Amino acid sequence: MQRHKRFLYQRYPNVEEVGMPSAHRISHVLLCNVTQRVSFWFVVTDPSKNHTLPAVEIQSAIRMNRNRINNAFFLNDQTLEFLRIPSTLAPPTDPPVPIWIIIFGVIFCIVIVATMLLILSGIQQHRRKNEGPSEMEDTEDKCENTITIENGIPCDPLDMKGGHINDAFMTEDERLTPL
Amino acid sequence: MAEGLRRRGPRPTGEAVAQLPAGTAGSFLVPYIVMLIVEGMPLLYLELAVGQRMRQGSIGAWRTISPYLSGVGVASVVVSFFLSMYYNVINAWAFWYLFHSFQDPLPWSVCPVNGNRTGYDEECEKATSTQYFWYRKTLNISPSIQENGAVQWEPALCLILAWLLVYLCILRGTESTGKVVYFTASLPYCVLLIYLIRGLTLHGATNGLAYMFTPKMEQLANPKAWINAATQIFFSLGLGFGSLIAFASYNEPSNDCQKHAIIVSLLNSSTSIFASVVTFSIYGFKATFNYESCLNKVILLLTNSFDLEDGFLTASNLEQVKGYLASAYPSKYNEVFPQIKNCSLESELDTAVQGTGLAFIVYTEAIKNMEVSQLWSVLYFFMLLMLGIGSMLGNTAAILTPLTDSKAISSYLPKEAISGLVCFINCAIGMVFTTEAGNYWFDIFNDYAATLSLLLIVLVETVAVCYLYGLRRFESDLRAMTGRKLNWYWKAMWAGVSPLLIVSLFVFYLSDYIMTGTLRYQAWDASQGQLVTKDYPPYALAIIGLLVASSTMCIPLVALGTFITRRLKRGDTAPRA
Repeated sequence: MQRHKRFLYQRYPNVEEVGMPSAHRISHVLLCNVTQRVSFWFVVTDPSKNHTLPAVEIQSAIRMNRNRINNAFFLNDQTLEFLRIPSTLAPPTDPPVPIWIIIFGVIFCIVIVATMLLILSGIQQHRRKNEGPSEMEDTEDKCENTITIENGIPCDPLDMKGGHINDAFMTEDERLTPL
Repeated sequence: MAEGLRRRGPRPTGEAVAQLPAGTAGSFLVPYIVMLIVEGMPLLYLELAVGQRMRQGSIGAWRTISPYLSGVGVASVVVSFFLSMYYNVINAWAFWYLFHSFQDPLPWSVCPVNGNRTGYDEECEKATSTQYFWYRKTLNISPSIQENGAVQWEPALCLILAWLLVYLCILRGTESTGKVVYFTASLPYCVLLIYLIRGLTLHGATNGLAYMFTPKMEQLANPKAWINAATQIFFSLGLGFGSLIAFASYNEPSNDCQKHAIIVSLLNSSTSIFASVVTFSIYGFKATFNYESCLNKVILLLTNSFDLEDGFLTASNLEQVKGYLASAYPSKYNEVFPQIKNCSLESELDTAVQGTGLAFIVYTEAIKNMEVSQLWSVLYFFMLLMLGIGSMLGNTAAILTPLTDSKAISSYLPKEAISGLVCFINCAIGMVFTTEAGNYWFDIFNDYAATLSLLLIVLVETVAVCYLYGLRRFESDLRAMTGRKLNWYWKAMWAGVSPLLIVSLFVFYLSDYIMTGTLRYQAWDASQGQLVTKDYPPYALAIIGLLVASSTMCIPLVALGTFITRRLKRGDTAPRA
């Protein structure tokens, strides 16, 4: 659960990095409007306590040191909010090649290889089948001259259709009486 | 071969998993069970009995009953062809999500940042991140069906992969398909079991289950619930596709198909109910999660605006404090009021998502909130893929069987080439569904390609067996074949109740269409981040009409053709003595 908490601002940003003199101390940060909500307004005065520093400079100082401020309180951008200073979102990590293409490529190659293997083995089986009957045909040619007769019926007509159609039974059209 | 076609029976299709809660959520159980007993079981028994008796595939079986009825088989093949055209796109999307599940964080759980990195992408802000991923990253959907856009190469690649996988499985014909289908049908059960355990232990699952099991009287009175249940039964049992008849034709004549029909339909429906328990427990988790995060947002908003103490506002005292704040600081409350959302668990549970959106939006939203979400995501999309490939294998087998059986085609080409050609043609046509407007065309096919035609086919089948062939003749055939007497229940259902029910479903569809005047669809509006309703343009309506007509018109056209050829033949040949 993420809640916005505006925390009591006790430490002072290291303004040396912003190029300001390091004579600033906690006493130069003045708080007001502290509420139960743990939120408050603050201004920073310069060491001589003559005037307050402009908001723009403070905002840029906070922008640069946001990480350090957050870490000091073990908070992050979702739990410590500075009004009117929008946080910069972390850029998404983009790998050079999208991950999904890698996985796609792997599976694609596997499927293609398997398909090729199956097709090739199917072609081989086809060739073997074609060689087989041609050997059978050679032996049949030698027997062609003799017609075997059994019971007075020549054997040939019974073989010709290869057992697909049995002439002893009616054809399909006559199975049903016409309407 | 029988095993390959057997799986048409108990098959928890992706649609079964995806369509269950859509619109009829709390009351789907009662219509589902009623429709199963009154419609599913009798019609399943009828198809199995016809196949076992006629001992031929669907075209031959109906030709045997009456030569004018071979159009029924042709219509089944046409419907299967349409189904295979669009159904594989679901597998392509499942592949897409599966490949994207191997990232941390899951791509649909976070919004992408906008140009200057100060906030999130605008469309993603208005909708949710899962909707954004689905509509923008996966589909890249256009605002309406008229704007076609180009073919998206990412879903196109996934579609090609899906068709390659289907080709690999059907390459060797139905013996190899049978082995694959055993695998694709049993694995989803394992995953469903794992998901059941995970789903029931999720926080808020009981809300979803309570929602599922409490019937809502006003929804039961709505005929839409009954229509959906009937269509669901038809689809999941595979009635009207012709594959059941083909399967049963390989059975022994003395096989007890009544027992088979009852077992298969009970198994199928218990699988659907099992899947729906899983679905609703995950649904309840998602609804509870959304409800609680909505409450938290309101609490945060109020705490920030009124500078209240941290932890003062909780879910239980929210209403009281809102009342107090309204009375104590009326002006400030009125400023904040428009942003306060009314969070309600009921409305979260009631959000009905249509069709494939359920599988891809709702589930991914629930998965992204679970721990180790990558694992659950991979499991889920793998299961969806198995279900989808299993359905595709059944469909393509239904198309390929008549093609490879017909001597004209199979003498020229080996069966590998025929399968390859069918897959290639379907893949090329399927590219339409990967364009920017592709999802709208997908919805057209999903809603209209199969539903009405299946109803008509099953109606013609029932009427043909009962009245053309003769119920008594069929009954005596069955008794001669199996040795068992036909129960009065089946006779009553076949002759009376089931045809009447189907006719009433037809009447409802037609009256619904006539009353609304035109057909509408849901289009995604990127600027608002939600779906809007639009009318179909005339050419889309024409295509819908063509889809329905091309399969239903097969039946009268083939009957007419047979009549004419018989007339000509009778005119040519001399009368037989």
